[in-house]
Amino acid sequence: MSEEKLTAPEHKLNNRDIWRMFMRLNTMRITLNYETLQGVGFMRAIAPALAKIYPDKKDLSEAMKRHLVFYNSHVNFDAVILGLSAAMEETTTPDEKDGINPLKTGLMGPLAGLGDSLIKFTWLPIVGSIGASIAFGGSIFGPILMFILYNVINMGARYYAVSFGYKKGIDFLNNNEQNDVIQRISTMANVVGLMVVGALISTVIKVKTPLKIVVHSNVSNKVGGNVISLQTMFDKIMPGLLSLLVTVLVYYILKKTNGKHAAMLIIAMMVVVVGLTYFKIL
Amino acid sequence: MKVFILTVLAFLLGIDNVSTKMFRRPLLIAPIVGIILGNLQAGLIIGATLEVMWMGIGDVGAYMAPDIITGTMISTSLAIMGNTSGNISTMVATAITLAVPTSILAQQLLVLIETINCSLNGWAKRLADNADVKGTFWLTWPPAFLYGFACAFPTFLALQFGAGAIQQAINDLPKFIINGLSTAGSIIPSVGIALLMMTMLKKGELWMFIILGFVLSSYLKLDILPITLIALVFAFLYERATREPSAKAQVSPSTQLNNSSSDEEDDEEDYDL
Repeated sequence: MSEEKLTAPEHKLNNRDIWRMFMRLNTMRITLNYETLQGVGFMRAIAPALAKIYPDKKDLSEAMKRHLVFYNSHVNFDAVILGLSAAMEETTTPDEKDGINPLKTGLMGPLAGLGDSLIKFTWLPIVGSIGASIAFGGSIFGPILMFILYNVINMGARYYAVSFGYKKGIDFLNNNEQNDVIQRISTMANVVGLMVVGALISTVIKVKTPLKIVVHSNVSNKVGGNVISLQTMFDKIMPGLLSLLVTVLVYYILKKTNGKHAAMLIIAMMVVVVGLTYFKIL
Repeated sequence: MKVFILTVLAFLLGIDNVSTKMFRRPLLIAPIVGIILGNLQAGLIIGATLEVMWMGIGDVGAYMAPDIITGTMISTSLAIMGNTSGNISTMVATAITLAVPTSILAQQLLVLIETINCSLNGWAKRLADNADVKGTFWLTWPPAFLYGFACAFPTFLALQFGAGAIQQAINDLPKFIINGLSTAGSIIPSVGIALLMMTMLKKGELWMFIILGFVLSSYLKLDILPITLIALVFAFLYERATREPSAKAQVSPSTQLNNSSSDEEDDEEDYDL
């Protein structure tokens, strides 16, 4: 396919069409089903663009059927694929149409992984923990800040990505240097996320023990003369030591079970903690 | 009346969860519930606790996670409605205890809807055959209604018939159980954090950033925001230091600069290069 056509200023779809695709992209996940996952949603989202690209009814029907196939990716990157598919529908000759679905299928896996790691496992936890740490202090500003920070990326990136995918998508994917940028951002996001996670361990998880040790004092020979609180001792070694130990323990349990039994683990922890509280250990 | 408002809210949130995804976290939902029930403080604390607890939870691929929307709605409302004493730590304990079972039960409804949704394929196929672009507009409405209903119906049932039972249970349960659940509330977030760590710790050396974040917070008592900013600097340096050699020669001078400027980076260079 020729790149000149794509980078040329005149596109068949104007901003209003891109806005319509964006609006339909927002409701794409609603039609998720076990047969084609988001296939119906993708067809619905791209339909207005197809209507504009194919004036002939028979071609339009063909194109709609072409997009009614198995599809699943991450919502913020659906936008790129959606824009890219629209660009390909517009620029390819009838013989090249077979290449559209393989491209979609080839992209949806890697982009879903990138979307999950960037948005779900980095950005959302960062804004969530900033919001939560403010909210723990009793301020409504926490959730408001989280809402704004989260949705600037969530909604903003989604709209921008449709237009970006449509106008520049193919250039972008062919350019290795650009792909490198994604990898680099992903690495950096990972590091930021991990440091925030480390900070959360000490701020959010509070494990304290009321246990005390009675020390016999040899000098005065009095029983119960010195009572040492275990918690004070732990705090002297490292503040939040118990929180760190509990988290590492939970981490290894989850890793052994592949994280599938998180809910069971939570219930088990409740039972254990209630039990420990009964014996005055926690 | 409050039950009615909360049911409508649950309906809207149920649709938002699968479409615009603007409010799909506990911290964004619980304060709204708190405002409706006239106890914003409890809403904030419960929301923040559940937020951290469910932090690493999300559906990956075809795996469907527990329905945290319905879970948050029901547990927050019942915790505030069921505790007349106004003790926030008891409310948090109640909310956490309720959040897990309700979200797992509600998850089954979502699975059911995705099975029903298979019928959309036939409808969409007919529209495509007729090249009916206008008709595709209606494809999302029936399932949207189902999703809203899947969130609103359990919420309504739980609030209408559950509040009294919860209050009764809180009064009848031995004190140590309530205290224990309250303590559990400050330990259970470790599950959410550990889930996050699972997805983020791709290499063993990345552990040192967890340690760094922990030390900055526990010894130096810094807030999350300054730690995020410091993390940005370390992220930049780490990315520079570990960048693939193929990424052009211009990297080398800056890498050497990093070598002299940061002890942390020195360690990593040993592993990587």
